[in-house]
Amino acid sequence: MENVLDVQGLHKFYGNLEALKGIDFQVGKGEIFALIGPNGAGKTTALRIVATLLTPSEGRVTFLNHDLKKHPDKFRENISYLPEEAGAYRNMKGTDYLRFMARFYRTSEEQEKEFLERAKSIAGLGERLREKVGTYSKGMVRKLLLARALMTRPALAILDEPTSGLDVINSLEVREIIKSFARQGISVLLSSHNMLEIEFLSDRVALIDRGRILDQGTSGALKDKYQAPNLELVFRSALQ
Amino acid sequence: MKKFRNLLAKEIRELITKQLVLSLAMTFLLFYFIGQLAKTEVRRAAAAQKIAALDLDGSEVSRKLLQSLRPLYQVEALKDMTQEAAVDAVRRSTTNFLLVIPAGFGESVARFEAKPVETFTFMRSFSLGATRNSAVFRAVLSRLNDYMSDEYLKQRLAGVSPQSLKNPIKSRDFVLIKNRMAEGSAADIVGFVFSQSVFIPVILMMIIIYSAQMVISAIAMEKQNKTLETLLTVPIRRTSIVTAKMLGAGLVGLLSAVIYMLGFRFYISGFAGNLRASSDVAPIIRKLGLAMDAKALIILGISLFFAILCALAMATILGVLAEDFRSAQSLVMPMVFLVLIPYFISFFADFRTMSLPVKILILAIPFSHPFLATQNIMLENYQAVFFGILYMMALFVVLVVVAARIFSTDKVLTMKLRWGKKKVLL
Repeated sequence: MENVLDVQGLHKFYGNLEALKGIDFQVGKGEIFALIGPNGAGKTTALRIVATLLTPSEGRVTFLNHDLKKHPDKFRENISYLPEEAGAYRNMKGTDYLRFMARFYRTSEEQEKEFLERAKSIAGLGERLREKVGTYSKGMVRKLLLARALMTRPALAILDEPTSGLDVINSLEVREIIKSFARQGISVLLSSHNMLEIEFLSDRVALIDRGRILDQGTSGALKDKYQAPNLELVFRSALQ
Repeated sequence: MKKFRNLLAKEIRELITKQLVLSLAMTFLLFYFIGQLAKTEVRRAAAAQKIAALDLDGSEVSRKLLQSLRPLYQVEALKDMTQEAAVDAVRRSTTNFLLVIPAGFGESVARFEAKPVETFTFMRSFSLGATRNSAVFRAVLSRLNDYMSDEYLKQRLAGVSPQSLKNPIKSRDFVLIKNRMAEGSAADIVGFVFSQSVFIPVILMMIIIYSAQMVISAIAMEKQNKTLETLLTVPIRRTSIVTAKMLGAGLVGLLSAVIYMLGFRFYISGFAGNLRASSDVAPIIRKLGLAMDAKALIILGISLFFAILCALAMATILGVLAEDFRSAQSLVMPMVFLVLIPYFISFFADFRTMSLPVKILILAIPFSHPFLATQNIMLENYQAVFFGILYMMALFVVLVVVAARIFSTDKVLTMKLRWGKKKVLL
């Protein structure tokens, strides 16, 4: 499988605190790759670096053969990032927010319309899109943001806890949407606390703890290796 | 460019909220209403006052005395009544003043032992108009004394002008500014210059504070609503994000300040009347080169423009330190102080007479320069004005580089003004 993202020896320091201690992973085209680990493991830091929000202290990140440090603009043109605690402009209507974001990526007005149609279909908010974001529930905002992240069909979607704040039904819907986009060739890098979600969604998984990747592989291979029935127990065994 | 326009439009739309429009409209209407109210009161107080007069003497002297008041006051003569009845009649009317000339007043004047006239002021309120009422009888008595003394002098020294006797020394006043000289009163010129430039510092202060508040709030709102991270990952240069925020806030700040100032102008003109130069002072002002011509206004505009740019850049850096909208409000305070210092100095102190350290401190504040520029342009100290503009340009470049650098690094997400431990999402 052709790799779109290649992370090599990634370190990140916040002052004296070393948040990432040299991690390596790759994401292939159309692959869903997940980082799983406890709070403070370094998942969000890794995702923020790939999303060009943070600069790596050491190591190399390449995306479609572009180096992150030299060409962050090339990353931004082809990625889409959904932060864990994201919001949308409360005074904007849902459609206005999507249009505002689409205009950063479109090359023509037709393409903008195409993005908006796709976003409306992903969000599934119907007429509520004509209302201000400030009136939306947390789940509705999350679906709007997911639609924003996927409407441009980015080469790489970086999703930090994509189902955060969603109820069971909405979570299932979102997982299906992510899967269907991956089947269309979009690569996904995601993080989650929810091991069941990861098992359902991801093609490959990296177990991360205290800034280090303990192990990585497909869910099945990891379960076989650690002789565990699920990823939660795989993680516990890997820690030991 | 299209991406920048998209961002700028969003910044402006986010800043012009219903709350802002309502607050500006309310402020404007409030100022307008108070100004109109004050204007009516001032006009009423300045109009010819109605004075009731009871002449118990009925002599030629008393008649002439009352006649001398007529060009300035509406004198309403009360006839065939006692003093008590006159007081009672005026109390029941809308007139506020009663002047009583006692019986035998004419004869007493002939003996140079004039009997005192009696004045009654009816205090019906303690408003601005009532304050002016308190001074009416002082002016009336001064007028009466002037008339009487002129009459005495005419009788005793026929052929001599009473005015020449009372004020034998006359003067011709000249004012010099640099190498220009004009005949006129220094007090009139100071009054005119003050009336013309009183609004400049107020406008400047309002624009700077409004714009700074807009930028800081815009960045703080992005953080509070968790939209900044998403915005920073879209394909647009970070400098464009910074510039759009500064420009959007600058435009909305300018608009707010203009609306506020229009209201403020109504408010002030209500108390002070029209501030334009009278036809007597205008030629003197022109001769002294104090009139602000197009060149002077352009230079002042450039100075003001760079002060606003410095304010926006400083506010952008401060905005990064804000965690949310509430903390953004407290971060505006340092900017307010930096504007208030030169604002008060421009009103109450003379920059030239200050000590060197204080001068350096004031010149280091970029907002001092447009405040000082008004006077410096009038006094043709162009060197000082250009130095100020150059200083502000250099400072603006430095501040923008710092702001763009902050936005291009992790600091935009990790830099916070907090006293506790730094929070980092791992």
